Parts: sequence; structure tokens; C-alpha cells
Amino acid sequence: MEELKIGVFICNCGSNIAHHVDVDAVREAVEAMPGIAIARSYKYMCSNPGQEMIARDIREHQLNRVVVAACSPRMHEKTFRNACRNGGLNPYLCEMANIREQCSWVHSDQLAATEKAKALTNAAINRVRYHEPLESLTAEMCPATLVIGGGIAGLTAALELADAAHQVYLVERTATLGGNLARVDLTAPHLDSARDLLTERITRVRANSRITLMLNSELQSLAGYVGNYAAIIRTKNGSGEVQERKVDVGNVVVATGYQEFDAGRITHYGHGKLPNVVTSFEFEQMLRKGRIETRHGKLPQYAAIIHCVGSRNKEFHPYCSRVCCMTALKYAHELKSANPACYVSDIYVDMHAFGKGHEDFYKTTSEVKTLFLMFEKNERPVVRKAGPNDDCEMLIEVNETLSRERIEIPADLIILMVGMEARADSGEVARLVNISQDQEGWFMESHPKLDPVATTTDGIYIAGTCAAPKDIPDTVAQARAAAARILGKIAKGKIEIDGVFAEVNEDRCSGCRMCNELCPYSAIEFNDQTRRSHVIPAACKACGACVAACPSGAIKGRHFTVEQLHAQIDGVLA
Amino acid sequence: MSFEPKIVGFLCNWCSYTGADLAGTSRIQYPPNIRVIRVMCSARIEPDFVLRALASGADGVLICGCHPGDCHYSEGNYKAMRRYPLLKRMLKDYGVDNDRVRLEWVSASEGQRFADIVTDMTERVRALGPLRIKTDLQTDMVER
Amino acid sequence: MAAKKLQIALYWGAACGGCDVAVLDTNEFILDVAAVADVRFWPIAVDGKYSDVEAMSDGELDLALFDGAVRNSENEHVAKLLRAKSKVLVAFGSCAYMGGIPGLANLVTKDEILATAYLSNASIEPGNQTVPRARSAVDGMTLEIPSFYRRVYRLQDVVDVDYFVPGCPPAPDQVKAVLLAVVKGELPPRGSVVGASERAVCDDCKRTKSEKKVKSFHRPFEIIQDSSRCLIEQGILCMGSATRSGCGVRCPNSNQGCRGCYGPLPGVSDHGAKFLSALASIVDSKDPKEIEHILDGLPDFISFAYRFGMPASTLQRSYK
Repeated sequence: MEELKIGVFICNCGSNIAHHVDVDAVREAVEAMPGIAIARSYKYMCSNPGQEMIARDIREHQLNRVVVAACSPRMHEKTFRNACRNGGLNPYLCEMANIREQCSWVHSDQLAATEKAKALTNAAINRVRYHEPLESLTAEMCPATLVIGGGIAGLTAALELADAAHQVYLVERTATLGGNLARVDLTAPHLDSARDLLTERITRVRANSRITLMLNSELQSLAGYVGNYAAIIRTKNGSGEVQERKVDVGNVVVATGYQEFDAGRITHYGHGKLPNVVTSFEFEQMLRKGRIETRHGKLPQYAAIIHCVGSRNKEFHPYCSRVCCMTALKYAHELKSANPACYVSDIYVDMHAFGKGHEDFYKTTSEVKTLFLMFEKNERPVVRKAGPNDDCEMLIEVNETLSRERIEIPADLIILMVGMEARADSGEVARLVNISQDQEGWFMESHPKLDPVATTTDGIYIAGTCAAPKDIPDTVAQARAAAARILGKIAKGKIEIDGVFAEVNEDRCSGCRMCNELCPYSAIEFNDQTRRSHVIPAACKACGACVAACPSGAIKGRHFTVEQLHAQIDGVLA
Repeated sequence: MSFEPKIVGFLCNWCSYTGADLAGTSRIQYPPNIRVIRVMCSARIEPDFVLRALASGADGVLICGCHPGDCHYSEGNYKAMRRYPLLKRMLKDYGVDNDRVRLEWVSASEGQRFADIVTDMTERVRALGPLRIKTDLQTDMVER
Repeated sequence: MAAKKLQIALYWGAACGGCDVAVLDTNEFILDVAAVADVRFWPIAVDGKYSDVEAMSDGELDLALFDGAVRNSENEHVAKLLRAKSKVLVAFGSCAYMGGIPGLANLVTKDEILATAYLSNASIEPGNQTVPRARSAVDGMTLEIPSFYRRVYRLQDVVDVDYFVPGCPPAPDQVKAVLLAVVKGELPPRGSVVGASERAVCDDCKRTKSEKKVKSFHRPFEIIQDSSRCLIEQGILCMGSATRSGCGVRCPNSNQGCRGCYGPLPGVSDHGAKFLSALASIVDSKDPKEIEHILDGLPDFISFAYRFGMPASTLQRSYK
């Protein structure tokens, strides 16, 4: 090994660290160790002067390793790697010791905290000896994109990309475009025509030569990695024939949408048994035909809308489906418009009027004399057929919360606001593109706040309701966001692959094939000719599963090698 | 002077290490006996590391990963779920008490849970006493 | 004047004799060896006393092959003697290299071993409490026998070793190769493992290998095996993927799983732990209860994983 010149930088972090850890004692303990060229402490290592100190010391003392004992690496690993880079040192030759979040902040005994800080710093010094100067790799970025789903999200993303002069393959499972929005008449709260919204999109998509539209098609398989995906699309034509087509893409937008909750699962709402209990989508059909009427063809005198059908309930789905409250108000408005004499009852749990124009819409609907009844979400109303002497079809019993009374509502037509749920085939989609689902089946984003359209698989983006219930504005925003992210990547032309990945030493690989199935990213391929396995660096996420499992120790986990980890283990126990 | 156990923790970056950091930002106090080593995923942690820690002076080893189903790398924690029960069976035959090696799932939001686990484990290992593998092996050599 | 013959010695510590037989198994080749070498000491095959070795000068022997583990003070004594008197000392066979089968004794204590052998087995006369001791007084004199150590050691734990030849026993071809290398003076860097591949047994095994997902483990007799397919894939334990090749795949070719006698691959510090990591990773389940049930199919896994290498493992012995 080359002669090591290690620089150790210990941060006081003001008093955050210094209050409980005797930083000077740590510095003194470290100074005496072999290979330590310099050991310093400073108020705020992450500050500009702090970072400049590191860069300067690297140059002046020809440091070839740096240890920073400070806050969590999740906070500042990038910062100190940059400081090393600025000093002319490969950023991977830097290691941090967490003596704040996992030391000074959690241990008030100064002696114990200082001893632990020494142990953690010692471990980092031990480990950094075995660090290697890793370099990033570059790969080509294919500018074509695969968009899965021809609803409002998919259409929007496809147009955004095609308008920027890039090829898009838009794959839609059914024979028509528009998705769930095509089943809707008017949208809330501005009562725009859904058909108008969609027609504009659909026309532009069909006219755009850069969008290859594949209807009656499904993704069959997706191989490769970001910038270099090979997708096989399967299309069924009218006579049942199946054709397969392979397309090369650089990124994928998953916009597969949602399915509605099956109202029949809540038996005491009577859907499927009582003919005039309909779901929101069934009511939309009536609205599109322009005729609101009961199954017997009569104009309903009493109408009731029930919220949270299948939502906000542990029994079915714990989440809120977001769009139903405003849609329910839209229905109240439509019912009153069609028949001003109609008594409309809106039976709700909470009124979620969170968005732009929502509160105003609520106000205007209450002004058209809708009766609002609140129920507790675990005490659902009960629907039953009315008796021969009642002047209505059905009766709804509600334990009304605000009045604390048990109220019976007449209804000739009941509209159930069914919630959104993840599509039954979403598991299949997730598996095909290698993304995760949460416990409710929604596709998981990379970070719920900071990265809502990317996923943990590079190159795969999610947009719209397939990620979680949301309304049209948010869906369109996400679709455009996903497209924008992809355009940014395409603009760079190449992708940079982090230097940390697993590497198979083919001189040691015996072809045992323990590893191939363990990789969730299919990043280890087996070569039938050479009988050796090989890692695709761009596809590897460096989880280390294969490294730990390889029975020959033939796979090296860059930056997390056996030597480094052994050194760290010995270091914390010295 | 009461025995202070030395516990080595292997924590995965995305969930458990973040959870431990959260305990820090929340200033939740726990015993200082644990020294944490960060890996990207619990799938990287090999039984060899656990044995190395025990042979190098650790009285206990804590392995933490994401809750099943939530692994940042999709299925890494399932590998841990399969390896550690087998290691524990083997450690039992080595005469190493199962309370000394513990596999726990800690999410990024479970700072308090991390602190509780560390506190509980420290006390259990304290009650078991020092493991002394390193010194036992040296004594064997000296006394043949 | 004729070229000076090579001076060689072979010795067995805690051994079964198989390694010595392996040398004889080289058949006619041994006569070629005899033509170029003087076997100065080989208890199983030629006359010779410890005093003959003690009388040699340091480095007088060109080569000493030590097989068997170090179980008692006699083994250690001769190991030290041969180290002093030899230019090249080879840990020959799995016992000398890793502790071997005798190494499994490290899972019990010295007292338990002596009690089982001398106090509580069916062939002991009731009331007989005779247990061997290192020192006894007999007719006014002191009788000393080698002292039985607390645990089994590898050769390298008591002396510096130049080369390691794994195998239980090493394959005859490997024995020939090692002896020839010494004769020709073509030795690899000191400390090397010789007579074995740098890759695992799977590299030489002709069975087909594909997807590895195991839902249950079986003993070889419990299923009708497909002898063209990887054993692990069929749920039969085989340590080949974690073990150096060079043995000619003797065991899998005989429809038995490899038992690991050639030891771990280079860079692997704990043979059993590495195999455990691989094997457990391919258990096909995500449910903790089901996993435990599948693992129930691996009783006494410690003895399988460390059959030949307990003294070479990280923990080396039991701490009960």
C-alpha cells in the first residue's frame, strides 16, 4: 500500500458536538496514530472556511485520505466529498464518523460520549486506509421514451416530450384513449367538460408524428437500465392476433391510473341489490346521456350522495381518495340544475375542500339548498328499501354527528362516492418496470416530498393516480414534471453512473449462479458462453446482496469491501 | 464497577440509520455502548461480519434493516431475514446466547424505537455478562 | 559424484492416516520420488525415531509434509522440530491446513471428551475412574505422556508454514504436482495454497446450473436425484460453490454434495459463514415462519459448515 497521509478533521458543530464530546481529547487520541499527517478541530467543518481548510490541507500536506468526524454522513457526505474534490483528492477517499446525531446528541455522559467518539473516529481512520479512488462511468442516453397509459397523465407526458422533438411510444391497454377521465362528464370545481379537456389532448397526440400510438397494447417486458431500456410491447388486433414489437427507450413514464372501489363490498349500501343505488361513475353515465332518472325512468324527487365509500376506513382503505368531496358537490349542483325541486342530501364525513376554488364551490353548492349531514367514519349510514306507505324508494339512516340525532333521509336515487384504489394489475406493472408499491398498492415515489415523480429505479417515473389518489391539476402537474425530468436527462446526452457498484472478478467466478436471482434490478447477468456472471454497472444500485451472498467472495462491493468493513469493525472495538 | 457491554450495530442507510439519526435530532437519549457501522442495505451484512465483531471483542451485535416490504432496494431485507435465523441457530451451537445477536426492523421515522431497542439490548447483554471470545482463545493458547 | 538427494520427512499429527495413504496412492510415482529423495522420517512407512530428527541440523531437511491437526503436546513438539529442521514445511491435507475432522472436537470440551472416552461409555467396567493424565507416578518414577490440549489447532497456529495443500485427502495428482514442484525448485510465493484451484468446485462440476431458489432441503437419500442438475437446486446440501476446486469433483460426481474439504476460496476468512450467507440467501420465502420451517431441514448446520475447518473459523470453538 502507498504511504498513507491521513487528515482528520473534527467538527465542534458550535456546541452541538463540543458540549458533550471533548473534541480536543479526540484530536489528541488521533494525532498519535500511525499514518495521521494532520488532525484538526474546527467550529463548523461544513462552512466555507471549514471546507476550504480541508482542501488547503490536502494540498499543503499531500493528504491522500481524509476523515471528517462531524454530523451524519446523510447530512454532509456530499459536502466533504466536494471539499476533497476541490483539494484535488478523489472524493471517495473520504470517510465520515457520525459523532453528532449518533453520539453527542444522544449521550449526555461526557466521558462516555468522548470514548464513543474516539472509537467511531478510530473506525473511520481504519476504514479509510482501504478506500479506493473510484471513478464514475458514463453511458449513452437514448432520447426516446415509453409512456405506459393513455389517460390524461400519459397523454400530457407524451405531448410534453414530443413537443420537445423527442420520440415517444404511448402504450394503452384498451382500444381508446382518455382513461378514467373519459368516463366523466364535467369536472369539479369549474364544471369544465372532461370531453373537451381530453379531445384537445387526444387530437394533438394523434396528429403528432413523434408519438407512436399503440392501442390494445401492453408492456410485455422491460430489460436494461436507464438510458438503455429495451421494451417489448404486445398488441392484440381486432381478430385476436398478437404482435410483438421491440422498442429502445431511455426512460419510462408509468401512468396507469386507478380503478374504482367495488361498492358491493359495503353490503348495507345496497349496491347491486337495490336498483337505484349507483356509483359515481354510473351517475356520470347518466350525466353524459343528459338524463338523470331512476331505473324506473322517473325523475328523482329525493337524491342522496354518500361520501367515503371504501375510503378512510381500516376495513377497506385507510386513505382519502381526494377527488370525491368536490365531485359530490358537483353532483349536488347537477341534480339541482336538472330538477330544482329535487331534495338533495349530501351525507359526508368531512368536507375536503383543499384546492383552488374548492371552498368557493362548497359555498355555492350549500347556497342551492343542499342538506349536509355528517357521519362518523366508522358509523356508516344504512340504506334500506322504503315501505309501501313511504313516498320514496329508499330510506337512509344516519347517525348525524352535528345534531347528535339519528336522522332518516328519503332517497329515490343514491349516489355512492366510490374511492380510488390501485389497479388489480398494478403488481404486474410494478414487477415489469421494477418499482415498489406501498401497502395500499400505490407506486412508490423516490421521496414523498422532495422527489414525487421519480422512483428508486433510475429512468422509471410515475405520474398521476397510479402513485396515489389525486385530482386533475395534480395529475397534469406530475405528468409534466416527469416529462421535464426526462427532458433534462436527455439534454445531458449521457448518463453518469456512480462509481459505487458491485464488480464480479471473473478470474474467481465459478459460474455457480447463486447471485443472478438475488438482484432486484437484474443487474447480474450470466454469460452462457464464458460461464461467468457479470454486473452491469449502470443497473447496479450497490445494495450488496450479491456481494454478501457470493460463496466464492468473487464479487467486490466497491466502497463496501470486506477489507473496509473488517477494518471498521476492528476499529470500533479497539 | 458494572460491566459495560460493547455492542456493534450494522444499520442500513435508508431506514435504520436514518431512524437512528432521527433519535439524535430528537435528542432521545440511549446507552452509549453501541457503535454503529453504516451499510447501504441490510443485504450487505454478512454473517462473517457478525462473527468478526464477536471475535474482536463485541459482547453483542445488532442488525437493523427496513421493515419487510419497505426495503429501498426492494428485497434486500428479505436476505437478512433468511440469513440471521440460520446464523442464530449456529451461534447457539457455538454457545453464544441468542440475545447477543439481534435482527430488528427500524424505519426512517422510528427514532424512539431505535433508542428503545438499543436500551433493551444493552441491558440484556449486560445481564449476560462479557463474551470474552478474544481472551478465551488467548487463554487456551497460553494454558494449552 | 551423484547429485545430492532431496531430504524429506512426512509426519502425522491428529490424523487418520489417509494423507499418508494418498502419498502412497501416487503408485509408481513414489518410486520416482524414492529415486531422487531420501525419506528420513515417515512413521507409517519407514524406520525412524524422534531422536533422529533431533540430531539433524537446522534446515537439513529440504521438505517436510505434516498432515493431521495439532491436538496434543507431542503433535506440537514434532511440528516445531520439523519446522526447525526443514527448509520447506507444508501443511498437508485438510487437518493440517484447517483442523480437519478432528477439529470438530472443538465443539465440546476436553473434559467432555475424556469423560465420554474413559468414564461413561458402555465398554467401561463399572466403577472404573481411570482417566489419562499427562504426568503419573509409576514405581517411584514419573511417567509423562503428551498432554491433551483444550482445543484442536491448525499447523500454522503453532509454527510458520510455507505451503498449504488442502484435501481430505489431497488428490493423488495434487500430491504428485507438489512433490514435483519441490524437486524442480518451482515453488510459488511462500504462504500459497497449492494443489488447488483459485475457483470453486462449480467451475469443474458438469451439472447444469440455473435459477437458485430452494423451498426445502433434503438428505441425499430422501429424494430421487437428477444427477445432471446442480445439487443445491434440488435442495441437497453441497458446499461446492464455496469450496476450492482441484479435487476432481469427486463427491458431486458420486451424487453426494461437496463437503468442503478443500477449504474456502482466496480472500474468504470464514468458510462456514460464507456458505451460510449464500445458502440462506436463496431460501425461497419472505415469511419468517416459513423460513424457520425451511431451515429446520438443516439440522446441525454448524457441523456441516465447519466439517473440516472449525479451528480455522472465526470463533474456532464452542463457548458453552
